[in-house]
Amino acid sequence: MIISSKSLHRRTFLRGLGAAVALPMLDVMAPSFGATRVGAKAAPVRLGFIYVPNGIIQKTWLPAKVGSGFEFQSTMKPLEPFRDKLLVLSNLAQNGGRALGDGAGDHARAGASWLTGVHPKKTEGADIRAGISADQIAARELGKVTQLGSLEIGLEEPSLAGGCDSGYSCAYTNTISWRSPTTPNPMEVNPRAVFERLFGDGDSTDPAARLRLMKEDRSILDFIRGDVAKLGRGLGSRDKSKLEEYLEAVRDIERRIQKAEEQSATAKVPVMERPTSIPDEFEEHAKLMSDLMVIAFQTDMTRVVSFMLAREGSNRAYRSIGISDGHHSVTHHQNDPAKIAKTTRINELHVKTVAYLLNKLDSTPDGDGSLLDHSMILYGSSISDGNAHTHHDLPLVMVGGGSGQVKGGRHIRYASETPMNNLLVTMLDKAGVPVEKLADSTGTLAELTGV
Amino acid sequence: MQGLDLAQAGKNAETWEKVLRKVGSGQMPPAGLPHPSAPATAEFTKLIESELDRAANANPNPGQPIIHRLNRAEYSNAIRDLLALDIRPGSKLPADDTGYGFDNIGDVLSLSPVLIERYMSVARRVSQLAVGDTAIKPEVNEFLTRRVSGRRSGRMERVSDDLPFDSAGGMAIDYHFPVDAEYVIRIKAPAVNTNFDGPIPEPLIFETKLNVKAGTRKVGVTFLAQSSAPEIVPALGVRPFGNNASQAPAARSTAKLDLRLDGSRLNLYDLPYNGAAPRFSSVSIAGPYNSGSAGDTPSRRKIFVCRPSKPEEEEPCARKILSNLGYRAYRRPFTDADLKPLMAFYRSGRQEGNFETGIRMALRAILVSPEFLFRVELDPASAAPGSVHRVGDFELASRLSFFLWSSIPDDELLKLAEQGKLRDKQVLSAQVSRMLADRRSKAFVSNFAGQWLYLRSLEQVKPDQDAFPDYDASLQRAFQRETELFFDAILRENRPVTDLLSADFTFLNQRLAEHYGIPGVYGSQFRRVTLKDSPRGGLLGQGSILTVTSYPNRTSVVQRGKWVLDNLLGSPPPPPPPDIPALESHAKDGTALTARQQLEQHRANPTCASCHSRMDPIGFSLENYDGIGAWRIKDAGNPIDVSGKMPDGAVFEGPAGLKNLLLTKHRDEFISTLTEKLMTYALGRGIEYYDRPGMRAIIREASASNEKGQGPSLPGLIQAIVGSPQFQMRRTRQS
Repeated sequence: MIISSKSLHRRTFLRGLGAAVALPMLDVMAPSFGATRVGAKAAPVRLGFIYVPNGIIQKTWLPAKVGSGFEFQSTMKPLEPFRDKLLVLSNLAQNGGRALGDGAGDHARAGASWLTGVHPKKTEGADIRAGISADQIAARELGKVTQLGSLEIGLEEPSLAGGCDSGYSCAYTNTISWRSPTTPNPMEVNPRAVFERLFGDGDSTDPAARLRLMKEDRSILDFIRGDVAKLGRGLGSRDKSKLEEYLEAVRDIERRIQKAEEQSATAKVPVMERPTSIPDEFEEHAKLMSDLMVIAFQTDMTRVVSFMLAREGSNRAYRSIGISDGHHSVTHHQNDPAKIAKTTRINELHVKTVAYLLNKLDSTPDGDGSLLDHSMILYGSSISDGNAHTHHDLPLVMVGGGSGQVKGGRHIRYASETPMNNLLVTMLDKAGVPVEKLADSTGTLAELTGV
Repeated sequence: MQGLDLAQAGKNAETWEKVLRKVGSGQMPPAGLPHPSAPATAEFTKLIESELDRAANANPNPGQPIIHRLNRAEYSNAIRDLLALDIRPGSKLPADDTGYGFDNIGDVLSLSPVLIERYMSVARRVSQLAVGDTAIKPEVNEFLTRRVSGRRSGRMERVSDDLPFDSAGGMAIDYHFPVDAEYVIRIKAPAVNTNFDGPIPEPLIFETKLNVKAGTRKVGVTFLAQSSAPEIVPALGVRPFGNNASQAPAARSTAKLDLRLDGSRLNLYDLPYNGAAPRFSSVSIAGPYNSGSAGDTPSRRKIFVCRPSKPEEEEPCARKILSNLGYRAYRRPFTDADLKPLMAFYRSGRQEGNFETGIRMALRAILVSPEFLFRVELDPASAAPGSVHRVGDFELASRLSFFLWSSIPDDELLKLAEQGKLRDKQVLSAQVSRMLADRRSKAFVSNFAGQWLYLRSLEQVKPDQDAFPDYDASLQRAFQRETELFFDAILRENRPVTDLLSADFTFLNQRLAEHYGIPGVYGSQFRRVTLKDSPRGGLLGQGSILTVTSYPNRTSVVQRGKWVLDNLLGSPPPPPPPDIPALESHAKDGTALTARQQLEQHRANPTCASCHSRMDPIGFSLENYDGIGAWRIKDAGNPIDVSGKMPDGAVFEGPAGLKNLLLTKHRDEFISTLTEKLMTYALGRGIEYYDRPGMRAIIREASASNEKGQGPSLPGLIQAIVGSPQFQMRRTRQS
């Protein structure tokens, strides 16, 4: 079992998650902002996108039977406790990940296309381009009521030297979240940075001090604006678009401060110890990040999280389960049974990690149910067969009730070549962010509701 | 090539540059077609070159770098040099994306709300630490010991020059104590298992509470050598070392755990352990508690260039302090208009607290100003759009300092810029020499060489403990150190760049020397070692590069070959086509195939052959080095065949053969590849066709400057790059 309750208790105190509202304000460890609102109305829908690179071995993943009452295969087995809240969605394709004349680079295209639906531009340098990703489309809308539009977290540092995949910029493999077609969002791997992003790194938990800090931040942001405006004069359009990125980010933070000020009177935050380092072990790191994701949803700091268990094309060696070969190298198994077995075990480890998160969401009360009841958590990859780099019949499961809009317990198999983008459009729709079209989407997937 | 007129080469420079490279490197005409004779090819390329260079001279295009955000390393160094505060705050920022192999490419350095949030919060922290805010909140920082440890690594050696000579293992931390106050240092060690069936025991905690004066101090946690296991564990059959070498490690022993601050012992603990060697898992430093004064730190001395003694002196002093900081942070003349908003921050802070609070608030604003965070080059008002002009003196100072120091210009550079002297050829060249001699140029080695040679990946590779039981954190550090010292020596001794491949010396400590099988090197310190009849010497025999180009559990012929083509020869193989046929691990009759046989089969497919015919022979010639660079003559019991034949028919064998091939037939490609990488790094942008005439001029100039005719040196290339139009000029913006 990867979940050691011992380490969890010592490292991470998620004390009485549900009872958070009862905590006196000054008892809180470090939050500068926070927001579980008392007596909130209908619970909002949360969206989680959890990515796993290099595909999943289908034979031990996909249930043989379609419909309800299917039997869980070994890789998916850790998700069995959530059967009633889970949909296995098979045979969807992400066409943007395919070569389409661009040659090699399936890993880069997989990472870049999973949530954008777009075929990314093949370039190593200056002119990277994908599309706005589904999580960011949601963040723009749902972020209007939360302090953070979205949270992007990961478990693997970006590569520090050399190229990433066959003539593609590393940005394509490092992230699945694109704020704009040209601005990839970095995945934060340091739990402490995530914690501080959520709850601030202010020096005081005293509400008056926090408000004073926000005022200071505001004046700093005003100053930046002024400086950018001065600087912008006399610059060309390429430079200006860089500065515009800067300004847009500034506006984003201003909006956040405003939200925090509005909510400061009612804000209560559960207690979690500020993480002090990045854990060495994958499992421990994953648990800590999952805890942070849960707490982000629970406090309604954000309703959108994207989470990469590893960067696309990752060659991480999972030594804790006795696998010293790199993940990417074993997925190119060339039908060697030993390599297939290793890949399968890595697949299982990832699913167990997700099970930990789902369990946490499921046991966290939220409004009239649990957080999981009000979430739609998509787990999967933009590569199906890691050996052949295929982008159809993608391994995807969606877990969570979506506030009563999703009926679980089923395996739905779509017609071949149904765009995965239809699923993204459907998820956005159910989260209250209807979009007409995302890349090659052809409509929504009505079956999720159970009709 | 139809329709291309050589006399009009300037008009089709982009195409002609491509022709030049393909023909020059022998990739064109393609294999199988008749090739012109070598002299004919040389004549042809020379003709194109001189036409292109003539056209470029008449109409130079130095490019137009975009505004450039400081990357993590640059941010850290800028804070260090601006505020005398060496706390690497850049590590708290999100990782930078890379382009063209480097993380200082303006176009690729993007901006996200997360980044700005981090800038804001890091700026607050930095301003608190630099000014010395006694109201700063206590925090806990935990430092984990690296767990990269080999199966056979019962080794205990001195790990840092900052630790005592008789120390073994452990770690040394540079920690900034923000104010004079009380701090708690906590060492956590794994529990000693007495009963395997019982509950997992709690870890051992050793705590020391003490008063520390503000400033950056060294916290050392280590074991006393005589108390711990022998340096090499005899039970595993490795050569014993030291006095108690004959004693096998007891199942349970006690080691002396030594805690030091700035070299003085704070505490000596008895640490029980079982297994081969004692270890602790982390060191945490918590505080400050019961803060006293802000203390006297280098940062405060640097910031407070004046101290008001009465209220009416406060505003003038604040002006002086902020003008001084602003000038260096913005790296250009600092105006009243710049000062005004900062004074507003000062006043609001002054009102809230005291004089220092005001300075702290204004400093925070400086640190998030786009003028600090971006390198911006403005066009002169009079310049016509699209025309070419020299960058301003201050801009040139920044180009220089970010190239050679990854940091802001120092006072001397700023002063020369102010006086308008920096563009003077002699002055500029003297400054380059001064900057290379300055210790800040270490940043050039770690950032340029670290990325060019993939050294940075060493932190991320995790060789398999079963395949390579010798690999551990200490060997990893030694690999890194060897290549850094080696590159540093080639740079500082003004050696020809070809020495990077052919040098007959390297830098070793005992650990690394044993790994390489070189006798007579004792102790943990690195020293220069002259090599005789050794397969080492030059980058291609260094464990760092051989390890980062391997898989965790075996070598990779293809990755090594590709690394050489990418980084030494500048002719990266095109990416593999889709639907690559898998390597067949067994022949049709069921017999297992060696890696060489598998790849030979692969190359039988013409699509695969076009690239593999270049990668594979290079990779195979390095097969005598295993996945962590140790020498071997057999692989899994089979003798290793290190012979190879390049597509052009060149036959060579082993590392010596490869080196020789690179230094003779491919010498020019190596030099121009290195130059291209240097220029990419220097300019912070990708190298375009219009940069190539300039690049050729740089190589010619640098080669001529070496009187012995051994080809260019690194300082020679750096000087020539700095002197080039690409570095000193820019094209005026169009709109």
